[in-house]
Amino acid sequence: MTRVVVTGVGTVNPLARSAPAFAEALRAGSCAIAPLTVFDTTGFRSRIGAEVPDATPPATLPGPLRRRISRADVFALRAAIEALADADLGRTVAPERLGIVLGGTTGGMLRAEACLRERMTGARRRYRHSALVATPVSASADLLATVLGLAGPRLTLSTACSSSANALGVALDWIRLGYADAVVAGGTESLCATVFAGFNSLHALSRTPCRPFDRRRDGLSLGEGAAIVVLESAERAARRGARSHAEVRAYGTSADAHHLTAPHPDGAGAVLAMRRALAQARLEPEDVDYINAHGTGTPLNDAVESVAITAVFGAAARRLAVSSTKAAVGHTLGAAGAIEAVATIVALRDGFVPSTVTLEEPDEACGLDLVRGQGRPARLRWALSNSYGFGGNNTTLVLGRA
Amino acid sequence: MDRAALKLKLKELLVTGLRLQDVDPADIADDQPIFVEGLGLDSIDALELVVLIEEHFGVAVPDEEVGKQAFASIDALAAFVSAEQARSG
Repeated sequence: MTRVVVTGVGTVNPLARSAPAFAEALRAGSCAIAPLTVFDTTGFRSRIGAEVPDATPPATLPGPLRRRISRADVFALRAAIEALADADLGRTVAPERLGIVLGGTTGGMLRAEACLRERMTGARRRYRHSALVATPVSASADLLATVLGLAGPRLTLSTACSSSANALGVALDWIRLGYADAVVAGGTESLCATVFAGFNSLHALSRTPCRPFDRRRDGLSLGEGAAIVVLESAERAARRGARSHAEVRAYGTSADAHHLTAPHPDGAGAVLAMRRALAQARLEPEDVDYINAHGTGTPLNDAVESVAITAVFGAAARRLAVSSTKAAVGHTLGAAGAIEAVATIVALRDGFVPSTVTLEEPDEACGLDLVRGQGRPARLRWALSNSYGFGGNNTTLVLGRA
Repeated sequence: MDRAALKLKLKELLVTGLRLQDVDPADIADDQPIFVEGLGLDSIDALELVVLIEEHFGVAVPDEEVGKQAFASIDALAAFVSAEQARSG
C-alpha cells in the first residue's frame, strides 16, 4: 500500500488566517463564535456563528476576478496559496500531474442572495451576470485550477457535511492509483442566509456557542472557511526532501439510508464508515489514540456518534481521546472535513489533543474521554476524523503521525 | 445632455455598475481602452455593460461587432450612445 503524506497545509477560518496561527489558536483554546455580521439575522432564533473576519482576495489576482469571485472562492484560494507555498513543489510536478479535489455545499450562494435581493426590491431591473458566475459549487475548484495552474484531474464533491473529508479520501485514491503525482485537496464554505435560515427553521441552531458533548447542548453553530492540503506519496516527498506534516492512511465512507436529517439511531452508518476506514488502514481499534469527532453539538448527533464510537471501539473507547473542534470554529459544512483534518494533522504533528473549548459539563451518557479546557499534550500515533452529513453521508479519515 | 456630462455619467456607471472598487471615475481618461489593458475589464464585464447601457440610456447593443467598437473607450461609448439616442429620439 503506497504511503501518502501531507506536504502542504493551508487554512483560512474563523480562528486563524494561516495553518500555523490555527495550530496556535487550537492550543490556546480560543472560540470564534460570535454575533454574525455577514448577513442580517433579524428575526432568526439564533443570531450567532463563526465568521472569517477578513475575506479580502489575494492582491495578485487580476481585477475582474478579484471583483467577481465568491467569498468561498477567496477562502479556498488563500488556503491553497498557503498550502502550495508550504509544499514547495517547485518544478518537481508537471501541471498535468497536479490534481485538485474540493468539497463544498453552497459555493457563491451569499452573492447570489444579494443579487436576488437587488432584483426583488427593484434596486436593479436585471440580474447582474458578474454576481452569478461564481455561484456554482464547482466554481472554486475551477478558479484554483486556472489561477494556480493545476491541469491534472479535477473534481468537486458535494456530500453535505462530509464533502471535504471525501475530498481528502478521493485525493488519496488518486495518488495510489497513479492518476496524479500531487493533489490539492480540501474544502471551502461561506456562510449564507439561505443555509442559516434552513438550520434555524429546523431548530438546529443554538442561541449560545455550540457545546458538543455537553449535558446541556442544544444545537450547533454555523461557521465558514477553507482548509487545503497537498498530498503526495511518501516516496516522492522523501526523494525531493519535503517535510511531511502527517500521513493520510485511509478513509471509509457509508450511507445511513435512513433519514434526511436524523442520524440512524444505532449509528449504523457511522459504525460502518469507521470500520471500513480501520480495515483499509489495516489498523485495530486499539491503535487509535484520538478521534476528532463530527460533534456538532445537537442532542442527537453527539449521542449517536458516541454510541457508534463505543460500538466500534468497545473497551478501547474509554482510553482514546475525543474532542470536537466545532466548538472553536463552528460547523463549516462543506469545509468541515478539511478544517478538522487539518486540526487533526497539527495535533499529530505537534503532539497535543485540541479540546472541545466550550465543553463544561461532559455528558456522562456519552461514555467517552472527552477533552476540554486547554487540551492536553499527547504523543499521538493514529487518529480518526469523523464527518457525518445530512442525508446520511458518513466519512471517516484515518490520519497518522508522519 | 452635453457630451462632457454624458462622458462623466458613463464613467460613473462603469465604476458603480461594475463595482470597480479601486477606480475613481475622474481618473478614467476619455480615450483609455476599457477592456483588457486600460481598465482591465473582461468579457463578463462586457455582458454586464450591455445591460447597464440599455437600462440607463435605453440604447441596445445588438451584436459583438457593434459592442467592440462602442466599448473601445469612453469617447467611443459616448459617441455611440448619443448617435443611438438621436436616431431613436
